[in-house]
Amino acid sequence: MIKLTRENPSLLIGGSIVTLIVAFALLSPWFSPYDIETMDMPNRFALPSAGHWLGTDNFGRDLWTRMAQGARISVSIAVASVAIAAVVGTIVGLVTGYFGGWVDLLVMRIVDVFLGFPPIILALAIIAALGPGIQNLILSLAAVFWTEYARVVRSVTLAQREIDYVAAARAIGASHTRILLIEILPNIIGPVIVLATLGLGTAIIAESGLSFLGFGVEPPTPTWGWTLSFGTRYLRTEPWLSIVAGLAIMVTVLGFNLFGDGLRDYLDPRGVARKVKRDDS
Amino acid sequence: MLAYTIRRLALFVPMIAGIVVVTFGIMLLLPGDPAIVLLGEDSSPQALIDIRAALGLDRPWYIRLMFYFGDLAQGDMGRSIFQNQPVADAIGSRIGATLELALLALLIAIVLGITLGVAAALWRGTLIDTAAMLFAQLGVSMPVFWLGILLMLLFAVQLGWLPSIGRGDPLLEAIGAAATGRPGPLFNSLAHLAMPALTLGLNSAAVISRLVRSTMLETLNQDFIRTAHAKGLGVSRVILVHGLRNALLPIVSVIGLRFGALLGGAVLTENIFGWPGLGQLAVASISQRDIPLVQGIVLSFALMFALVNLIVDLFYTVIDPRIRLE
Amino acid sequence: MRISSALFGAAVVLTAAIANPPSSLADVIRLGADVDAGTLDPRVQRDTTAYRVNNLLYDGLVQLNADLTPVANLAVEWENPEPTVWVFKLREGVKFHDGSDFTAEDVVYTFETILDPELKARFRSLYTPISKIEAVDPLTVRIELSEPYAPLFSYLDLGIVPKAYVEGGGDLSINPIGTGPMKLASWERGSKIVLEPFDDYWGGKAKADGFEFVVVADNTSRAQAFEAGDLDIIQSPLSPQDIQRLAERDDIGKSVMGGVGITYLNFNTAAEPLTDPAMRRALAMLVDQDTIANGIYEGVDQPASSILLPSSWAYADAIKQPGFDPDGAKTALADLGWTDSDNDGVLDKDGQPLTIEISTHSEDPNRIQAVEFIQATFKQNGVDATVSIADWPAFFPSVQSGQHQIALLGWLNIVDPDRLMFAQFGTGGTQNYGNYSNAEVDALLQTGRSSIALPDRIDAYRKAATILAEEVPYYVISYQGYQVFHGKDVDLQPDVRGMMRSAIGY
Repeated sequence: MIKLTRENPSLLIGGSIVTLIVAFALLSPWFSPYDIETMDMPNRFALPSAGHWLGTDNFGRDLWTRMAQGARISVSIAVASVAIAAVVGTIVGLVTGYFGGWVDLLVMRIVDVFLGFPPIILALAIIAALGPGIQNLILSLAAVFWTEYARVVRSVTLAQREIDYVAAARAIGASHTRILLIEILPNIIGPVIVLATLGLGTAIIAESGLSFLGFGVEPPTPTWGWTLSFGTRYLRTEPWLSIVAGLAIMVTVLGFNLFGDGLRDYLDPRGVARKVKRDDS
Repeated sequence: MLAYTIRRLALFVPMIAGIVVVTFGIMLLLPGDPAIVLLGEDSSPQALIDIRAALGLDRPWYIRLMFYFGDLAQGDMGRSIFQNQPVADAIGSRIGATLELALLALLIAIVLGITLGVAAALWRGTLIDTAAMLFAQLGVSMPVFWLGILLMLLFAVQLGWLPSIGRGDPLLEAIGAAATGRPGPLFNSLAHLAMPALTLGLNSAAVISRLVRSTMLETLNQDFIRTAHAKGLGVSRVILVHGLRNALLPIVSVIGLRFGALLGGAVLTENIFGWPGLGQLAVASISQRDIPLVQGIVLSFALMFALVNLIVDLFYTVIDPRIRLE
Repeated sequence: MRISSALFGAAVVLTAAIANPPSSLADVIRLGADVDAGTLDPRVQRDTTAYRVNNLLYDGLVQLNADLTPVANLAVEWENPEPTVWVFKLREGVKFHDGSDFTAEDVVYTFETILDPELKARFRSLYTPISKIEAVDPLTVRIELSEPYAPLFSYLDLGIVPKAYVEGGGDLSINPIGTGPMKLASWERGSKIVLEPFDDYWGGKAKADGFEFVVVADNTSRAQAFEAGDLDIIQSPLSPQDIQRLAERDDIGKSVMGGVGITYLNFNTAAEPLTDPAMRRALAMLVDQDTIANGIYEGVDQPASSILLPSSWAYADAIKQPGFDPDGAKTALADLGWTDSDNDGVLDKDGQPLTIEISTHSEDPNRIQAVEFIQATFKQNGVDATVSIADWPAFFPSVQSGQHQIALLGWLNIVDPDRLMFAQFGTGGTQNYGNYSNAEVDALLQTGRSSIALPDRIDAYRKAATILAEEVPYYVISYQGYQVFHGKDVDLQPDVRGMMRSAIGY
């Protein structure tokens, strides 16, 4: 453990933050006596106390309960959107990189099209078209993120294809599926995991940005983005609410980023993920 | 290189066509149409029918798309429904503001990022390194609009040092004025730019500083640096001439990518600081279902992004002649 | 006029001294606007910014005073020989910004074009009772109405446009030409509209060297810009939190008063289970309007008692819609057969739970919070309420076509009770989204519209309001407040519609 701390503090700190957030999200119903939706208007914007560990929000709801539920939702949105993007992007990248030819040409033009959109505009337009809601938010974020994985996986696959053992596998008559899954995929999975971990942070920030512009999940769903967005409106008089929400987002994103950085040392020593990663603010 | 450039430019055509089709498809899927926004609460069914006819919204979508492509081929992006002017003019009057903001943010990101990255690499393992890398981690973890609002609260409201909203004199004109001995407009321009550009640039500064640090560390460990050192060259000269030059290539490539991120980030930043650029207009025009304007803005963003990437790729060959373009 | 914030001010003042003669900047008034104007043609204006800019660029036949009474403007006097005929004497020697003379032909042209469906004027329906308008001589205009139409005068402040200029191809939407005290100097789209004084204004030169409408979309940012000294005047819409803070300051001019708008719940009277007035009344009793007005709107808006506004001559505080009364609501719902028979916390009847969808649009955070709050109260009292929020173009068509159950909406610019009732509650009315129909109300609204004598109008609107308070097609949550804050050196007589003529000396 001591060795790990010295060698890879990012992994340890990031991992601890992520573990704490997940524990907070999952365990807090046992600690909190409050209902998530019960309002208490006379007691709105209360500061932390023995009764309300984090104080209350703009409707007098217990902020600890809301933040815990929000952690579950925000992290779920992030995980789901990144997972969809990673799976779709990996498949697309594998197929295009391995087979090349006109499929590659066509798919890469499609990727160009998606990269041409400012990410937040694309996400915003898609969620406006699909209507608000958690599922639609996940889809719109995935539609923005998948190109990143497609590009990374394609470039790695292109390189792998020429390597001896792949050529050897082909020579002994292994099927394309077998080569892709057994020979190439294991070499790609590392960078993809690193990329996905870093992408979780981006997804959480993207959710809060969309909420800020009014294109998030419908209330009373307690996403962090909504809490921060409403908190911002009371920033001058009641800064506590937005400080808590803003910090929660920041710390969580920090956790995923550190964790991703730490994983990189093990899973992506050549830094493939870093080079192609396109950060979206 | 010329052939390469032409080939890359040719790829813009399918990209533009694809973006037009995707944008058009999304806009068609959006519930509601511009006629509803135009008439607001005062609409009646007949008035809606009249306005839709006047706007040409009563024609089938494929006809509208065909007409759009026809006009686009002649360089006509149509007319904005709500800005009451040609899309090209609406974009033309805003693009300067967005570019100015993105470029200054990029400048801040480069200067801040390189300074912190170099410092962290030189004093590796010290408090400076830790502080710089902590800053970098926080920089990428900070939601843009949260940062913007905190800055506004501090510098505009509490301290009263900077104007909180809007754009001052256009930067280019202000620089021109300063060149002729009138520095006033430049102060005004920069004062308005400071907070939005910092908000927008901080994230990229963090990314660049991490990249610079790791590249510098790699380079500093290489033989030729040690050799240069042994030859008696000063430390600072070694770092600047050899260390940075070798770190330049990855930095330039990341800058190209960052520029795209900055243009995307400008959407939020412009909405916070009332910056009259394309990002603000884009959100408004989506909300108003101003299809021609949304098309035009998305195309402008895509073209800017693609051009910058092309320039970055071409730039590679200049700084590192060993690289051959495929 | 303060030019900029404390520290940076020094640099900017210095700049101004070098770049421009000091006088040209010294007295420019800067107003924060929430949206950019879409068009500066008063006939087709849509947004509040255009409305307010055009008020400075153009003159109407009449001008509405701060208390909404019409007073002479381009018309100096008028008479009413028959109930359906009005004859206006026009002001002499008035010039447009392009130097041309103002005549009766311009008045006729303005109204004839706004009535032409081809122009697609948003407010055309306000003028449709005009059956004929003609120029008797260059300074006399005669208007014939198809029926007596009392609210007309409230809408005669419509800016008069120059016929010759428009017919000659001039585009008012971007190059406005009026007879008003200010003319357009420049317009930076999405950023600011700059006006300068019109030297030949018939009422004398403006007492300001310029007037700028600076666009800052975000309410809080606008308030911060004002506090930083970058704006001289800000007004509604503002965030309650900012209003509260600003209202406590002594070093600025301020007015907080009842406005000309309402926030209300639109009950779809054609959608089950809301077809029964008793059900609508019971649900209305679950709306805690005091907490919404004082909590979410932080006292900026007043809890409403009926469809009549306190600022109106028709107001009567004896007319009261149901108040917040959860126990009463429970009893009323039980009387209707809704009880929690399976003990799941949700009322049910014949095995069906009581489910209601409350919707609003995503552009207004206070409305979102109000809906969220109402939903929570409904749920606490056994009504399984859901929330639906979409942006305006997606939300509004569903309301307009009557697909909603309960929608939270607002009305602005209610300068006459007719404006809030005729089209909204008349059977088949163009804005009757909830499909309300009551023959007695129809007759009363017709009387209110066509009676010239004010007591007759008051009587008709009070009777109608009493029925509406009983049948609850609308539940009026709050009367919107109007707030304006300005630097001490701006001399402003607050006008609930946000007009700015007093700031430049008229």
